Amino acid sequence: MSWWPFNSSKPVQKDFVKEYLKNSQKEIPGIRLFDQLSFVVLDTETTGLNPETDHVLSFGAVKINSQSIQVASAVEWYLSSSKKGKEAIQIHELIGNKMVLSLADFSSQFLQYIGNNIIVGHHVGFDLEMLKKIVKPFGLTRFPNPCIDTMNLAIRLDYGLRADRNLIPLKNYSLDALCDRYGIKTEDRHTAGGDAFLTANLLLKLLKAAEKKGINNWSLLNK
Amino acid sequence: MANVIIHRVAEFLKNFPPFSFLSPEDLEAVASKVEIKYFEKGEKLFLQGEPAKPHFFVLREGAIELSENKSGGPEIKEYCEQGDVFGVLALLGKRPYVLNAIFSEDSLVYFIPVEVFELILEHNSKVALYFAAGFASGQVVFKQDLSEGQKARGLLRGETLDDSLLIFSDPESIKVSENVLCCKGNTSIQKAAQLMTQADVSSIVVVDSNNFPLGILTDKDFRTRIVSEALSLEHPVSEVMTSNLIVKRRSASFSELYLSMIKNRLHHLILTEDGTDQSPVVGILSDHDVLLSMGNSPAVLIHALLNTFDLNEIREIRDRAEQMLRYYLENEVAMDFVASVMTEINDVIISQATQLAIRKHSKDYPELEQVKFCFLALGSEGREEQLLRTDQDNALVYEDVSEDLKTSASEYFLKIGSEIVEVLIHSGFSPCPGEIMASNPKWVQPLAVWKEYFTDWIVKPTEQAILNSSIFFDFRPVAGSKILAESLTDHIYDEVGKKHFFLNFLAKNAYMNPAPLGFFKGFMVEKSGEHSDHFDIKARAMLPLTDLARLLTLSHGLVRINNTFKRFEKLAELEPNYSELFLQAGKAYEILMRMRALEGLQHKNNGRFIDPEKLGKLQKQLLKNTFSPISELQEIVKVRFQLDYFAK
Repeated sequence: MSWWPFNSSKPVQKDFVKEYLKNSQKEIPGIRLFDQLSFVVLDTETTGLNPETDHVLSFGAVKINSQSIQVASAVEWYLSSSKKGKEAIQIHELIGNKMVLSLADFSSQFLQYIGNNIIVGHHVGFDLEMLKKIVKPFGLTRFPNPCIDTMNLAIRLDYGLRADRNLIPLKNYSLDALCDRYGIKTEDRHTAGGDAFLTANLLLKLLKAAEKKGINNWSLLNK
Repeated sequence: MANVIIHRVAEFLKNFPPFSFLSPEDLEAVASKVEIKYFEKGEKLFLQGEPAKPHFFVLREGAIELSENKSGGPEIKEYCEQGDVFGVLALLGKRPYVLNAIFSEDSLVYFIPVEVFELILEHNSKVALYFAAGFASGQVVFKQDLSEGQKARGLLRGETLDDSLLIFSDPESIKVSENVLCCKGNTSIQKAAQLMTQADVSSIVVVDSNNFPLGILTDKDFRTRIVSEALSLEHPVSEVMTSNLIVKRRSASFSELYLSMIKNRLHHLILTEDGTDQSPVVGILSDHDVLLSMGNSPAVLIHALLNTFDLNEIREIRDRAEQMLRYYLENEVAMDFVASVMTEINDVIISQATQLAIRKHSKDYPELEQVKFCFLALGSEGREEQLLRTDQDNALVYEDVSEDLKTSASEYFLKIGSEIVEVLIHSGFSPCPGEIMASNPKWVQPLAVWKEYFTDWIVKPTEQAILNSSIFFDFRPVAGSKILAESLTDHIYDEVGKKHFFLNFLAKNAYMNPAPLGFFKGFMVEKSGEHSDHFDIKARAMLPLTDLARLLTLSHGLVRINNTFKRFEKLAELEPNYSELFLQAGKAYEILMRMRALEGLQHKNNGRFIDPEKLGKLQKQLLKNTFSPISELQEIVKVRFQLDYFAK
């Protein structure tokens, strides 16, 4: 219904969005082992926790191939923001001096970067919700990429797939708590790049723990 | 600007050599190419015989065992900990791995792509040397050439301690020859030699019509390239000169010039207007110029000592010698040179002290004027290894005298001995806590008594006797009549030859001090007492080597070689099968001497107890490497002297 002039919620798809969607059609075979999986581990820093009113200030990510973190692929991008100002600076001490991308440039680079990789994040649903707001004006309403939430994965490794969330002390599954438990030094917290790096380290360890439990291919991981 | 992830990786790497030698740009380039992988205990990184991977490895956290397949199963060669670099064969020789790498703890590993590092190796000589010297873990340690290690350490140290050239009273005032002897490329060899002789210089610079340098011809070249090749003297110098010049700017700092000479093994460094060979020659710096610039040269100090009997002045000169020593050590001057220089200085002090003593007391004993005596240095000074003014060990032997002179002789020579000991104490040498000094009547004796002493130790090798032998057997005549010492030496070797089992006792003793291997993560440190948690470099590393060297040279009937590293050199000649090992042991000993002396100079003590916590990664590795010859030698001794069958 894109011809319908009154439907403003469905903007025209930009070329980079089409390109991205075309490449992300392929499904990952279920029997694929961890060593052959490609992940993008990401994190965002935002003005707040409400996807309705807050927005993304910066984005950090790094890729994992063959179960190893590819430092060369690490990115850290800052976004131009209508709400930029004192508020944000006070919360996260972001210095307004870094290379800042327009929303259009960011969207294009971001989609090209994630490609058809598996997206990983801690509480990744929130980050994706925030990122969706950015790409929406360019004609993308949802990310077709498969996703792994490191929080859910950690819980699953402890309690199994069918655990009752209400009985689980979720505070033990914050990024800080998990890093502490898995012996990952938490530095550079509250920068998107720093948190993405921590999450990537966490994923390496969670994947090993999963393999020990017999979870060793994509279909088992993606349950 | 590097993002936070690359920054994080770089921050870790920069704490450890060889990454600590990288410029920030190179470090960032390396860090940005790192791959990080997590392994669990028991996983393998690589196995012996596997082809080299395109990475080498840095342990970010955890621990890994490097082992070698032996007939009886894998044997652990090395234990890597945080910051250790291993698997570098891929980088250097692209040979298959010689060891297995198996994780002994859950570990995080940084993979460094070889290609990134190859670029750095090309332009960073420190890093190249670091690897060449085998500091990176995972090389079979005893096979590595420790002299490369020494060289590397010198260079690595050199630049960080530029200010340590304190021996040069004023580095800026170094005299550079500005009248450079030059000639054109078509000058004949003969003519060049004449020019050099006329100007009384050791080199001639070959220049083009703009006075830009083309090459250099030195005294040595005449020997190596002309005479030995029987080249006609009519050839032009351009055929025999060294081209590929290394040149520097005239305005470069002295330390830069000097280091460039050391690094490139240059005896002559050409200076040009702008520091390239595309500008006119303006000066030349020779190692002779450098030598002359040293205020505290050994020759100057020895000359000063020979001209004074003033105790305070002697003390002051000895202090200055220590400054020189520090400079030598920090700049990795060859140890046999350093040791001979310091020994010479100590010996001159002793001979001055002896003259002082005779002058003071001889007039009271005119009847003893013709009686010969000899002052013996024992222990480390006897072995010509005393760099620091550690405890003095010495004794005095005098000619056998007739019955009527016995009392006065023992009185007189005790006075002489005591006087010398006092001068030494005044010069800063601590007294021996065990009273093994020429001020102790027990150790001031006529030759016949000394012979009895030695016979007794050899025939009845009690624990005390073995202990004494380790001090007394290394005696060396310093002042007085050397014939007495010679005669004593002959006596000892006769006795040892007759009582061969004495060597088995010595061997047992040499075997008892275990090499400080067996620790992996730390050093074997003292468990209690004042020096708890310190590593006793003397007892644990140096003493075993001195004991082994003494034992083996004695067993060969070798006489008059006291110095531990010279003993090993000699042994290498005598036993070509083990020459490699003996040479390594000698090198190891030199390194230990240097380390101990530097430690002592730094903390103003005898340098014996080293705090492993305060050692840099590099020093730790170097120290560890010195241990491996000890256990190898002990195994040889065990078999050779049949210690397994020998009464315990």
